[in-house]
Amino acid sequence: MTQATPAPIQARSSPAQSAVAGHLADIVGERHVLSRPSELLVYNSDGLPGYRRQPRLAVFPGTREETISVVRLLAAEGLPFVPRGAGTGLSGGALADDIVVIGLHRLKKIISLDVENRRATVEPGVVNLRLNKHVAQYGLLYAPDPSSEAACTIGGNVAENAGGPHCLKYGVTLNHVLAMTVLLPSGEVVELGSRVGERDGYDLRGAFIGSEGCFGLALDITVKLTPKPQAVRTLLADFTSVDKAAHATSAIIASGIVPAALEFMDGPTIRVVEDSIYAAGYPRDAEAILLIELDGLDAGVSADLEEVRRICLDGGARNVKVARDDAERMKLWQGRKKAFGAMGRLAPHLIVQDAVIPRTRLPEILETIRTISEKYGVVVCNVFHAGDGNLHPNIAYSADDPAESERVHKAMTAIMRACIDAGGSITGEHGVGLDKMGYMEAIFSGSSLNAMCELRSVFDPERRSNPGKVVPVHACKEWHAVPGARLRTAATSEADSPEPRPLEAEPSHPSAT
Amino acid sequence: MRAGKTLSLRDDSGVVSYVPGDLTLTVRAGTPLSEIERVTGEHDQWLPLDPYGSSDGTIGATLATASAGPLASSFGLPRDLLLGLEFVNGRGDVVRGGGKVVKNVAGFDLSRLLTGSWGTLGVITEVTLRLYALPATDRTFVIALSGSEKEISSLVRAVVSSPLTPFALQLLNPPAARALGLGGEPVCLIRFGGNDAVVRAQVSALSQVARSQEVESAVWTRLRQLDGKAHTTIRVVSMPQRFLAASARILGDDVPGIYTCIDPRRGILRIIVGADDRATEEDSPGMLGSADFARDGSESSEVIFEKLPSEAWPSVSPSVVRDALSQGIKRAYDPHNILNPGILGD
Repeated sequence: MTQATPAPIQARSSPAQSAVAGHLADIVGERHVLSRPSELLVYNSDGLPGYRRQPRLAVFPGTREETISVVRLLAAEGLPFVPRGAGTGLSGGALADDIVVIGLHRLKKIISLDVENRRATVEPGVVNLRLNKHVAQYGLLYAPDPSSEAACTIGGNVAENAGGPHCLKYGVTLNHVLAMTVLLPSGEVVELGSRVGERDGYDLRGAFIGSEGCFGLALDITVKLTPKPQAVRTLLADFTSVDKAAHATSAIIASGIVPAALEFMDGPTIRVVEDSIYAAGYPRDAEAILLIELDGLDAGVSADLEEVRRICLDGGARNVKVARDDAERMKLWQGRKKAFGAMGRLAPHLIVQDAVIPRTRLPEILETIRTISEKYGVVVCNVFHAGDGNLHPNIAYSADDPAESERVHKAMTAIMRACIDAGGSITGEHGVGLDKMGYMEAIFSGSSLNAMCELRSVFDPERRSNPGKVVPVHACKEWHAVPGARLRTAATSEADSPEPRPLEAEPSHPSAT
Repeated sequence: MRAGKTLSLRDDSGVVSYVPGDLTLTVRAGTPLSEIERVTGEHDQWLPLDPYGSSDGTIGATLATASAGPLASSFGLPRDLLLGLEFVNGRGDVVRGGGKVVKNVAGFDLSRLLTGSWGTLGVITEVTLRLYALPATDRTFVIALSGSEKEISSLVRAVVSSPLTPFALQLLNPPAARALGLGGEPVCLIRFGGNDAVVRAQVSALSQVARSQEVESAVWTRLRQLDGKAHTTIRVVSMPQRFLAASARILGDDVPGIYTCIDPRRGILRIIVGADDRATEEDSPGMLGSADFARDGSESSEVIFEKLPSEAWPSVSPSVVRDALSQGIKRAYDPHNILNPGILGD
């Protein structure tokens, strides 16, 4: 029993809370439970710096058994919790508002690798890139490649149904996960999907993927691996106008060629990357570049490459350069993958959007974004998965400047509205989390949101896993009627916490509590 | 319990929106696959979904039953091609999941949930699908698998493990091959698509591995219809390598009227029984090597009855929705149990 720990005096600690911390420490060991506000600061945001929520406790189980015990303890106490991987998410989804964070980064075993059948089973804390490095020696890869691949975890990827540049051809996490062992918020362990690949019955695997931590957490994940393509060629096409690059993108998609990736970066993004340590040799004077990758069998790739080059040049590209070797390819990609990081040079905060639009509407929407940014006097950096129509208009700003924050939020809301009006979606790969929750009612009817609430209630009847995310509470019909007595015992329940407004920004420095 | 009424969606048909440049298509659920093929074909596009049976089947039924065919090994299952849908749940609420764009993680995934739910959670009324460009070249070849089990086995392995990226690849036993007019030996049927260069390169690479003969691509339509008159169709799902290891033995089965088809890349074996008058109840699949494989109780294989005489259904088909989560979802979406009750053995 760890009550003996020299527990720090905490302003907020209550006897009940230190009892819970003590029980958790019994399970995972004292050094894997954090309860001091200063230690918990690290966990008060994710990759989207606009939101801060201070957790009450953080617990880091080191094994599957410990994880089960932790969740069962919290279930017995009726306490809500937030599962968290590497904290690289971009929707405020892994924030815990005065409740318990369960960090799963210590569960990082690659449990099994079946090279012949091209499958791997991993623990949720395995880092995406580590899995890829591990399987590369067998000529295999794990296709979903979020830009945060060097840090983000497979468990987090499952929770968010993460994408990445190469999802254009290979599909998102959903298309590559076969099965999971899931720990429900009640502490019960269930198997979803089939390691073999296909099974009858409801696709609970599909329902769980992208459930943003609201359905429980995965204890292990079986993924499909993909053979490395025989040939990979990367092109850089540069344009003197955003509009020309947007039209070229639409033309490539309409041609029927499915590039492995088709990425777009506009002038402001190019220049901020080139100013940073991630400089990739992009032409500084270009107003837009397309980074296009083609892969597959050698013969097919060469033919497609000529076709794509022709489309770009016909569409007004100033220059189309093909990377000569892997080193040059990697350099071109590094600039793209680190673009968000590079924007840290501009201002302390960054709003990242993730809307998706029909691909034929790209030129028109990019023009709309330009008009909006001028109207509100903000600089938008567009860096996005053009082939999928998945936009990432980003605005670097200082949340400490209220006037600037207000303009930035108005601009972002206007951009989102334009994307929704074009028939798009509010999020392509980052998830709803806290950030997009205010837009859910703009794209889903009350009965659709209610159906989502009902699904969530089957997995988590007490709504203790990642409460207050994805679907606005008031959209859930039966949730008003049955407030859930056990939630009242929780430190804070979602019913009690105010709902964030869309694109809410908060002070950059969390209050000292 | 059995359904008392049939709700036909046949007439709720037609294209809702189609912008070819977006490579997405929204149709009402009663739209036949043949109609989708016609509409998209006019723009040199297609929905690469070829479920067994006829193209007169509707897209709604295809998704509700998660039916896939030989193309699934390269283009994915129905769930992978579905972008969003609209359905009516058991309370009469109209619900939408997903959207109309190719990438979307907004909200919990109702589209996947409804796919393969056999109409038990809702009546699918509209779907949005991802399309692909029709390949410039689309060619099919047949390889005769003659010789000893060992020879067949090594040939199959050589083809499957080669860097070829065929659109579809199926191994057929002699009765199935005969029914398709492909001779009297087990065969490997292989389909290449893409730009001219990539198809030419693959045909050339195939010739290094095996002797092949080009056949009309209509053979795939006939293959999909093989079980049209079947008494029973069993699907065995297992690890791809297990099928590769056992393919020669399975393909050795030569009982008239019993067709076996293996998709070794997807890990699927289909056994079609009684498609021929000569096959009787006594030729039950239990007598065949292939079905021994199906029944070997190893953890990694699952037997699914795709088609059974209705009287056999309750005794043979295990419930696939008995777990608490599935039951909970069923109760939430269909509280009065009026949607296709009993079909999943619930």
